[in-house]
Amino acid sequence: MERTILIIEDEKLIIVSTQMVLEAAGFRVESATNGEAGISKARELRPDLILLDIMMPGIDGWETLTRLKRDPETAAIPVIIFTAREHTRGHQKSTEMGAADYFRKPFEPDELIELVEKHIGSQV
Amino acid sequence: MTGFADVMNGVVFADAEGNLALLNPAAAHLSGLGSVASIGRPLAQLCGRGELMDAVIAHHEAAGDRGSSTKVVEIHHSERDLLYIRLQTDVVRDAHGRAAGVMSILEDVTANYKTDQLRNQYLSIVAHELRTPLTGIKTFSTMLAKGRLGALEPRQREVAESIREQSIRLEHQIDKLVNLGFLESQEYGRDLQTFDVLELVRASVTPLLQPARDKTLEVSLDLPETAVAVQADRSDLRRALQALVENAVKFTPAGGRVRVFASIEDSEVSIGVEDSGIGIDPRYHRRIFERFFQVEDPLTRHHGGAGLGLFVAQGIVAAHGSRIEVTSELGSGAKFAFSLRKCGSTGRSGDEG
Repeated sequence: MERTILIIEDEKLIIVSTQMVLEAAGFRVESATNGEAGISKARELRPDLILLDIMMPGIDGWETLTRLKRDPETAAIPVIIFTAREHTRGHQKSTEMGAADYFRKPFEPDELIELVEKHIGSQV
Repeated sequence: MTGFADVMNGVVFADAEGNLALLNPAAAHLSGLGSVASIGRPLAQLCGRGELMDAVIAHHEAAGDRGSSTKVVEIHHSERDLLYIRLQTDVVRDAHGRAAGVMSILEDVTANYKTDQLRNQYLSIVAHELRTPLTGIKTFSTMLAKGRLGALEPRQREVAESIREQSIRLEHQIDKLVNLGFLESQEYGRDLQTFDVLELVRASVTPLLQPARDKTLEVSLDLPETAVAVQADRSDLRRALQALVENAVKFTPAGGRVRVFASIEDSEVSIGVEDSGIGIDPRYHRRIFERFFQVEDPLTRHHGGAGLGLFVAQGIVAAHGSRIEVTSELGSGAKFAFSLRKCGSTGRSGDEG
């Protein structure tokens, strides 16, 4: 069965490069360039996993995460925080807020695949 | 006592019995206490005191065991919003060395603190702006180099691999730039997760491969076969390891060797870096971990750097309940190593801990 990953990320370059990595590993990839659009895509597509950027125009990644976890329709989808900035105790904050994991950009493609494989299908 | 009226910093002095003996106007203002009314009363029983006095009292009580202490406390001031006060506490002794009381100096460092915060915010934004294109370069070059986008000729693969390595080196430089800004405010080892430390050891070598090649150094990894899980702050530990590897590469002359190793010892994993470099005179073995310290030597002058690597690395390792030990003689290489507690079994990483 084809597994879908939704990337919520405002930088096109990151979407394109991440998509290349994930597609090469056999995943189907969808994307949204802001939090609001990401939430509606998540409701519509029910992806198997979400990669979520933090610094985005409009609602940021933390707020997007909160809304995804509050909504019964999307609450069970594992979310991996995907960030290029330092956040104070980012890993702890992410898991406390219901994210499955926390991942830094730039990243190692193989590590991303490993992380996605680990969390995909897992209920959070 | 009135001589202290003009002092800008707050001064609080309690005698050997713990009674308030001096509270200058600046301290009274910062702590929200009336200066005259409180003199002579036990410090611990002052009424109407705020967060600042609570901190002062805590430091006074600990002064007997700890001696001097310095800490920045964040307080909510009734008139001035959020204040950052540097609290310096020390035991005052009489001519015979007996404790005569405990003195605290309160310095309002809010302005510096806000400047630091702005600078860190700026650095963090710059880092984000740099990391975004770098993510593209690293991802694309890795995919190319690993043949995921089709087979390459050996020469093409070499170039792709080199682009990948340079991007990792640049990533390391950006991390260093940001970390420099966060030096003051950083509390290490706070973002704990469980992961395979060997993977981190391998990754910490990559940014230094090109500089090592440029000096024709032989870099080797000597690691156990199976994964070793530890619970630690991953990005902090990475910084510590990279500082050790970077130093080894920096202080080893052309043609030398750098060995990065890990070994299991009962419930611990020992991690370190050994080189065949210029070595360190034992009289500097303690001082090299001091902030900004660099051995003054005509041979090492040209190595550059800010003298922060080992200082930060030791801080990080200490926050994980360990210590970096150094073994070295001048002219015969150096070995830096520390131990971490292993975590449960040696399975693959599991982050929910």
